[in-house]
Amino acid sequence: MNKLLNVSGSPHVHSDDTVQKIMWSVVVALIPAFVVSVFYFGLPVIILTAVSVGCCVLFEYLIQRFMLKQTPTVSDGSAVVTGMLLAFNVPANLPIWMMVVGAIVAIGIAKMPFGGLGHNPFNPALVARVFLLIAFPVAMTTWPVPTPIWSFGADVVTGPTPLGILKEGANVEMPTYMNMLIGQMGGSFGEVSAIALLIGAIFLLWKRIITWHIPVAFILTVFVVAGIFWLVDPTQYANPFFHLLTGGLILGACFMATDMVTSPTSPVGMLIFGCGCGLLTIIIRLFGAYPEGVSFSILLMNALVPLINRWFVPKTFAK
Amino acid sequence: MSKIKILTKGFFKENPSLILVLGMCPTLAVTTSVNNALGMGAATTFVLLMSNIIISLLKNVIPDKVRIPCFIVIIATFVSMVDLIIQGFVPALSESLGVFIPLIVVNCIVLGRAEAFASKNTVFDSILDGLGMGIGFTISLVLIAAVREVLGAGSFMGWQFIPADYNILIFVLAPGAFLVLGFIMALVRHCVNRVEEKRKSKMCATK
Amino acid sequence: MTAKKESLLRLVVVLTAIALVAGLALTGVYALTKDPIETAQAAKKQEALNKVLPGFKGEIRDITVQDNDGEDILVHLAVNPDGSLFGAGVETYTKKAFAGRFDLMVGFDMTGTILNTEVIKAGETPGLGDKINKDKSDFALQFSNRNPQDFKLIVKKDGGDVDAITAATISSRAYCDAVQRAYDVFMKVKEDYHE
Repeated sequence: MNKLLNVSGSPHVHSDDTVQKIMWSVVVALIPAFVVSVFYFGLPVIILTAVSVGCCVLFEYLIQRFMLKQTPTVSDGSAVVTGMLLAFNVPANLPIWMMVVGAIVAIGIAKMPFGGLGHNPFNPALVARVFLLIAFPVAMTTWPVPTPIWSFGADVVTGPTPLGILKEGANVEMPTYMNMLIGQMGGSFGEVSAIALLIGAIFLLWKRIITWHIPVAFILTVFVVAGIFWLVDPTQYANPFFHLLTGGLILGACFMATDMVTSPTSPVGMLIFGCGCGLLTIIIRLFGAYPEGVSFSILLMNALVPLINRWFVPKTFAK
Repeated sequence: MSKIKILTKGFFKENPSLILVLGMCPTLAVTTSVNNALGMGAATTFVLLMSNIIISLLKNVIPDKVRIPCFIVIIATFVSMVDLIIQGFVPALSESLGVFIPLIVVNCIVLGRAEAFASKNTVFDSILDGLGMGIGFTISLVLIAAVREVLGAGSFMGWQFIPADYNILIFVLAPGAFLVLGFIMALVRHCVNRVEEKRKSKMCATK
Repeated sequence: MTAKKESLLRLVVVLTAIALVAGLALTGVYALTKDPIETAQAAKKQEALNKVLPGFKGEIRDITVQDNDGEDILVHLAVNPDGSLFGAGVETYTKKAFAGRFDLMVGFDMTGTILNTEVIKAGETPGLGDKINKDKSDFALQFSNRNPQDFKLIVKKDGGDVDAITAATISSRAYCDAVQRAYDVFMKVKEDYHE
């Protein structure tokens, strides 16, 4: 059925990329981060990811089959990617029923009511994550402390995320930069390891599934703006490297903001989109009520995508 | 139009908040619990009914040029009365509805019915219209509030039956109001359309 | 010309008449509801006072005191029949709340011990910050019968003695801020009363 890639403006370059191929590549790119999460958070990571992916696929199938009476297109793999990204954005100790609620929201509120794949203005996984954050603020902000897999059987201890420490000023030691890089810090289980996520992102760039524009613009903006504040007052504002390695910045910039359906089509548009995301993220992190702002900023910029596309139409071959 | 139809059109077919999309401010803001929704619905229905009666009585006296100020004065009078009465006799309700009772003055449903119906029709018809619209408004508020209260607070009319651990907080907060309103709007429109289609096909068959 | 004048006159007369009748009707309703509204408000205040000053049955004298930020704070002095002070209920507030501001009533006895605290008006987030209300969680109970002299009104995270509400540190800090403000005002009032 709907195996064509969604293209919003000319040129309609023909390529043998199918939705399926793209989606499965994203899944492959997420595997390194998944492995690191299993290493640090153990079995719950596998269970939550399985539940999230399973429920997203199931709900999409049920809605298409019985409510919309269409031929189900779940085999395109987009629900699998949504499920994985959603699971990556929750703490590893989230109760399973909340994960199911998240899957219902992603598919039943953020994706299918707008017309399914290619028509949703907002990234479904992020809508569901923000929904869960507002719906279950306690469960969504209680982070298990990462413990390497061989310390099996130890009690699960919870602790704050580095950004949470920054915002609330708790008397807890900050993780070292090395630990932030490999992923030994509190946080949603898919976002902790910067290295594993970057390996996945490089794979996607190599496969030409994403372009560099959005991630680079996004991350660079965060780095520069955080850097300016840090230079002005290093005692009050954290160092820009800290902002790069903590929270969901890398996951958001490389895997969520680059979602083809909900990001601009032209390179200039992508750069503006990325800068907007970065700016909003750092504003929320420094001055907002929430410690982390990546999901909010991407969703807000998603809303501007039609406008950006209108201003920066991709050049046609004829011109 | 038959008298029954004047009364019942406000329930679903021309439901003020779900079909005409009027009075969104109270629809979104006070529907956190069924009790609030009933209180707001009753207050609005009273104001609608009274302002419809007075305006339809005065429709030949009020000059066209100053009709809007006249309507507003009449509506504001009844709203202030309701506000005072609620403050005096149901202080708990006045506390939970807060500023939204005085805000009935600017509810488009009330002025809309005064302008579109009461100023052109007889007193009896205006009574039916005001009642019907008020009941329709109450129905929509209660529908939204029921979903929000059950999912968000685990209770119905204050009676808790889902433990607090299983409440989905977003539904009692502002974003939940928009989500629930959207889905209920879609559902009601779907049902109304379906009924219309059936009626049309029946009419075709009898012809 | 005359027709226009007439119609203008009519506009004025009709609108004035309607406004006049409306005003009269409102006056009537106001007169009818004045007493019940006052009773309801007094009852509410009395109820809050009874909660924060348990067991006190004497005279309540209201005074206004300025806090350190220059804002007026209403203090309900609880005066014993012999003229000495039993304690006071202080209507305090905080501006550090998640929703901006909330108002509390805090009762003290003469040693400065907190008898009880009660939320008067708050708009904290349901499920999180609204746990400052006693029917939602036991957070507020920890303040009762504690003396701020040896009970630091700061959340444990910041080195104090108060257990914060999970995931609602801002509201917990705000609550402490309001109680501390009440305590400061009460100590000032107590000194002045002795003089």
